Amino acid sequence: MMKEFELFVGPNHPGVTGNMSYHLWVEGATIKKVETRVGYLHRGFEKLMEKRIWMQNVPLVCRICVPEPDVNEAAYSMAVEDLMGWEIPERAKYIRTIILELARLGAHLLTVGGIAASFGLYTIAQWGVGDRDYILDIFEQITGARVYHIYIWPGGVRWDLPKNAKELITKVLDYLEKRMPLYEDLLIRNKVFIRRAVGVGIVPKDKAIEWGVTGPNLRAAGYQLDFRKLEPYAAYDSVDFEVPYYPKLGEYEVLSDGSDIYTRTAIRLLEMKQSISIIRQALKEMPEGDVILKHPQWFAWKVPAGYSYVRVESSKGEYGYFVVSDGGKKPVRVHVRGPSYTHGINVLERIAPGMNIADFSPTAISLDVCPPDIER
Amino acid sequence: MRNDDWKKVSRLVSKKSLWMVHFCTGCGAMEMPPVMTSRYDMERFGIAPMATPRQADVLLITGYLSIKTLKRVVQVYEQMRDPKYVIGFGSCTINGGMYWDSYNTIKDLSKYIPVDLYIAGCMPRPEAIMDAFLKLMEMIEKGEAIGWKKYHKYYDQYKRNQRMAFSYRLDEVQDIKEDDAK
Amino acid sequence: MMAKELFPDAQEIRKGRIRIEVEPEKVGEIVKKLKDNGYDHFVMLSCIDWINDGQFELVYHMWSYEYREHVMISTRIPRDGGSMVTLRDLFPQIETYEREIHEMFGVDFIGNPRLGEFILEGWPHMPPMRKDFDTEKFVKDFYYKIPEVKEE
Repeated sequence: MMKEFELFVGPNHPGVTGNMSYHLWVEGATIKKVETRVGYLHRGFEKLMEKRIWMQNVPLVCRICVPEPDVNEAAYSMAVEDLMGWEIPERAKYIRTIILELARLGAHLLTVGGIAASFGLYTIAQWGVGDRDYILDIFEQITGARVYHIYIWPGGVRWDLPKNAKELITKVLDYLEKRMPLYEDLLIRNKVFIRRAVGVGIVPKDKAIEWGVTGPNLRAAGYQLDFRKLEPYAAYDSVDFEVPYYPKLGEYEVLSDGSDIYTRTAIRLLEMKQSISIIRQALKEMPEGDVILKHPQWFAWKVPAGYSYVRVESSKGEYGYFVVSDGGKKPVRVHVRGPSYTHGINVLERIAPGMNIADFSPTAISLDVCPPDIER
Repeated sequence: MRNDDWKKVSRLVSKKSLWMVHFCTGCGAMEMPPVMTSRYDMERFGIAPMATPRQADVLLITGYLSIKTLKRVVQVYEQMRDPKYVIGFGSCTINGGMYWDSYNTIKDLSKYIPVDLYIAGCMPRPEAIMDAFLKLMEMIEKGEAIGWKKYHKYYDQYKRNQRMAFSYRLDEVQDIKEDDAK
Repeated sequence: MMAKELFPDAQEIRKGRIRIEVEPEKVGEIVKKLKDNGYDHFVMLSCIDWINDGQFELVYHMWSYEYREHVMISTRIPRDGGSMVTLRDLFPQIETYEREIHEMFGVDFIGNPRLGEFILEGWPHMPPMRKDFDTEKFVKDFYYKIPEVKEE
């Protein structure tokens, strides 16, 4: 006889991504209903930003997404620049591209490691975190910090790259490129992974856009949509890259109808290769010159009144900043659109019923749900 | 004398096998994977992550705590068996850090649970985390890490503060005994 | 059809950003019309507290992958006892945004069954994102006044 019961997954649970929890109603091993419980990381960022001047908010925003803080700095800076009507120097655009792509590489390594670990393939998790550390080393040499960089500012970037930046970055990229086949052998061509991941955790393709799915999850559902192409920011319109999407998985086999854990992982691995190529191009084509505009005094900034919505493509999906100013020294409202807001709540709550309990945690991790950008 | 000797041996053994609760309470959890995995590898000091609080010795409060998480942290802390140790990780646990004026994060962790050791910084580097663990081991060996004894001794005061925080109000504190009877 | 053709009084803030100001009753109809005309991605629902006007501004953001255009549908409701009809049937993620705005600003969304505690737990005071809630004063009056544990 099947027995119905309730399960609480998280917040103290290795199978959830960070500090969040799921309330599952289960019959036997089949999930009947899911409710996502968030709010464990609520710090009231949007309230705090209204209390601080425009410049003071830069160190605040990067704390919104911990694995990939640079997208926040970039989006906030772009929103301020949009309201101010500033055009940033050409070199700063290229540096931003390099920083954002390095951050994407790091975040993808962590996610791919997380997906593998949720299936018990701990080697990939160890490698992913270990290799990501070399990227953090680059960040440390460029910006002075490992995790929160506060490097991208309204008007450009804080300072120029160090003289040996090119060698530093190229060395790590060469290393990562050498490592990629190992990841592929142990993960994407691994029979254990294929048996567990193909056809599991499917986001319905016809519903993907309506449900607000963005980023790699949307591309795994078969749409070639990427805000780096649709609304180019930084130097993305000057570099040449392809957006991987289902069913064009390159050298990886197409094993399913897409939109499952396998395809989402494959898309992430392909995106890492694209990131490496983007950074190489940007390093090669980067012009000389200033990296930051000559600002008026930071503390005296008054941003013209207006509404601005700016979006960037993060490793998880669309990251948007809605900034409202009334012409004063402080913003009236800053509203952050995190990609996990839709992925973690309404998408997961809809796709989980009918799933086996064992598949739930890999599905949540493969959607790349990052709780701090849900509750902020 | 014999009893004292035995305590020394037990401390010596327990400092070499610290199990840490796998609970990411804040953004400091981002620096834990590098410490746990191959590059910094804290397992060489006998420290390993543990999913259930009942078998763990160390609770790491990684950064700011919202009131909602504090409730879970207190529950986790009370489930852990004695002796147990708490490390406050990052500036947010010391005085609120950059969230000093946030309405939802606690400012001083030691008001709610006893803290043995703080790590300063936002966020602390992996080296700092490992240094903190080594210091904690030293403290355990010397018998200085006595936060868990404080929790028994001043239980009423800790509970009073926790109640205040959970209700977001200074007044309306229920009587502890009455609540326990439920 | 693009937003400008559908709504001639729409105002273009800059390239790719359209702003439409409407009455609260018409929002549902406009969101539906845009959804049927290629604006298929609902980005987010924001709320702004204009305390001097005594109004909340609700902004519905929509994006069209086809036209690469972002539309902000803005409407104003009274600050005290303001309410809005839920649009959760049009896009599922609106439900989550409404839950957040209900908790953080105190706007009532008629017809949304999941309003209630979402992010905060046991919050007894005024919704915290309202401009008249002073977070600094609250911290000084509450967190700083919690007594320290006295050791003998």
